[in-house]
Amino acid sequence: MSHPVSHGSVARRSIATPVLLGLLLVAFALVALAAGSKPFNQTIIDIFLKVIFVVGLWVFVGNSGVISFGHIAFAGLGGYVAAWTTIKPMMKGLSMPGLPDWLMQTEIPYWASAGLAAGWAALWALIFGSVLMRLSGIAASIATFAMLAMVNSIYSNWDSVTAATSSVVGIPIIRSIWPYLIAALIAVFAAWAYGISRHGLALRAARDEPTAAAASGVDIPRARLIAFVISGAIMGMGGALYAHSIGIVTPDTFYLGLTFITLSMLVVGGMGSLSGAVLGVLILSTLIQTLRWLEAGVEIGTTTFALPGGVQEIGLGVVMILILMFRPAGIMGNRDLSLPARAASETKGLQSPKT
Amino acid sequence: MSDLSADRVSVAFAGLSALSEVDLKVTSGQIVGLIGPNGAGKTTLVNVLTGFQPATEGTVRLDGQPLSGLKPHEVRRRGIARTFQGGRLFRDLPVIDNLEVTGVGLGLSRAAAIAEAEAMLDWVGIAPLADRIAGTLPYTDERRVAIGRALMRKPAFVLLDEPAAGMSAQEAQDLSALIRRIASEMGCGVLLIEHNVGLVLDLCHHVVVLDSGVVIETGGPAAIRASERVRHAYMGTAADTNLPVLEVME
Repeated sequence: MSHPVSHGSVARRSIATPVLLGLLLVAFALVALAAGSKPFNQTIIDIFLKVIFVVGLWVFVGNSGVISFGHIAFAGLGGYVAAWTTIKPMMKGLSMPGLPDWLMQTEIPYWASAGLAAGWAALWALIFGSVLMRLSGIAASIATFAMLAMVNSIYSNWDSVTAATSSVVGIPIIRSIWPYLIAALIAVFAAWAYGISRHGLALRAARDEPTAAAASGVDIPRARLIAFVISGAIMGMGGALYAHSIGIVTPDTFYLGLTFITLSMLVVGGMGSLSGAVLGVLILSTLIQTLRWLEAGVEIGTTTFALPGGVQEIGLGVVMILILMFRPAGIMGNRDLSLPARAASETKGLQSPKT
Repeated sequence: MSDLSADRVSVAFAGLSALSEVDLKVTSGQIVGLIGPNGAGKTTLVNVLTGFQPATEGTVRLDGQPLSGLKPHEVRRRGIARTFQGGRLFRDLPVIDNLEVTGVGLGLSRAAAIAEAEAMLDWVGIAPLADRIAGTLPYTDERRVAIGRALMRKPAFVLLDEPAAGMSAQEAQDLSALIRRIASEMGCGVLLIEHNVGLVLDLCHHVVVLDSGVVIETGGPAAIRASERVRHAYMGTAADTNLPVLEVME
């Protein structure tokens, strides 16, 4: 046989991608450590959270080609799991008196709540997905948006267990960057493992040419559902950690704002590859942070140079328009980061298992 | 031995009849040709046989079991494969992945799918193209990838929808040899839909001629060659003595 390969080698050939992306995240963590400032620490934590969200989104959107406006709902479900399971029972009694007694008495560590949140969000992804995954194209996208609105509406009105639109406070705040880094690494490696799996391949085929995929034996709704559940789990984990990063949740924490910033990051980075998802977050976050910093003013000698307020939003908009004009498939397009020696023969990263 | 049959299959789109009481049967190792002018309903029949189009009336049977109501992927899992006009490859994926998709779609692990895809690429004669992105391939190679993709996991039947369209005489000859091997070496039943009537009459054991959704002639290549009705359907006149498409073969 001309190409002796095995499944192990699919993994071996593409492992460089998650490893390089992981090293990049570690580098960001080390910069935060070196800077040693509290606000900067929080910025890096926020970047890691966005990496989790955008990578979670990529697992479904990138592989299926169906744009989802609804994934932040899973983050919201996760965020409230953190509230339900980590706030001190006495405080829960005040803000959410309708919780069942066993849940009221539950107080678990943040990492356990993140795990539980992943499972809870995955369960709801399975339930919603069983219905939604039969739809394709724009119909599916609109349905995911309806799902987001539905979850938001329920959590905004079910005051005995979610405190309705009031902020739920008292979630233990985790200020160390390491748990967020570890969770982001888990998200990246899980997304990579899914991407090279048989289910990931089948779904990308269905994205490119659904008719031919069905004629090849691919059960498209099922292939989409698998991705939907895995991405829901990643979003749920991210939602719980997001709650632990700021200490409070409201239904609107997990609504349109977060939906559009995460989708923008995915589109700008390039939804065709895992590297696009991660780099989209890192590049846009760095840009936003730099513009904020310039707005606040930079002292050079005795003069302070500051950009007028609002430049951050305008600058971000201009950069996004430019990227989409000149690189409509995003910064990375379909390409994944890989080692230079392999780059020539393997431009498709996850998609190519060959040497 | 296995057989795939359409029994009195009719399809109507909004009252317009696309197929009317069509009978057709393919058995293992046999090459059956399906010819007819444009709009005769050939592709509609393939769509009915593979679950893409429900029959308004009539039944598709595999070994006597009706396939009614099965989705395309379920039909494929029962061993009925097809190709499409124009290839419909997964254009962003490498050639080997195109074949692997069928393997994983039919339940193989990726490792097993890769191993079989490599053997299949070799069998259809395009092993060196394994790493090429499918969207960058020339026409004739695309067809071979599509056929290789359909043949993964050795289906009992394969329905080839105009595999020779746009090919030169030499390329069509090479393709003929491949189609013969599909029937003889793999034991597949082949349904060949082709505009190149010469190729069909040369290859097929049995030929079905459709015109305006109705079977106007069936029989061996000699009977089809001699048929006035077939000549008439293609030419609109019975006066000419040669089918124009026959010249393609010579």
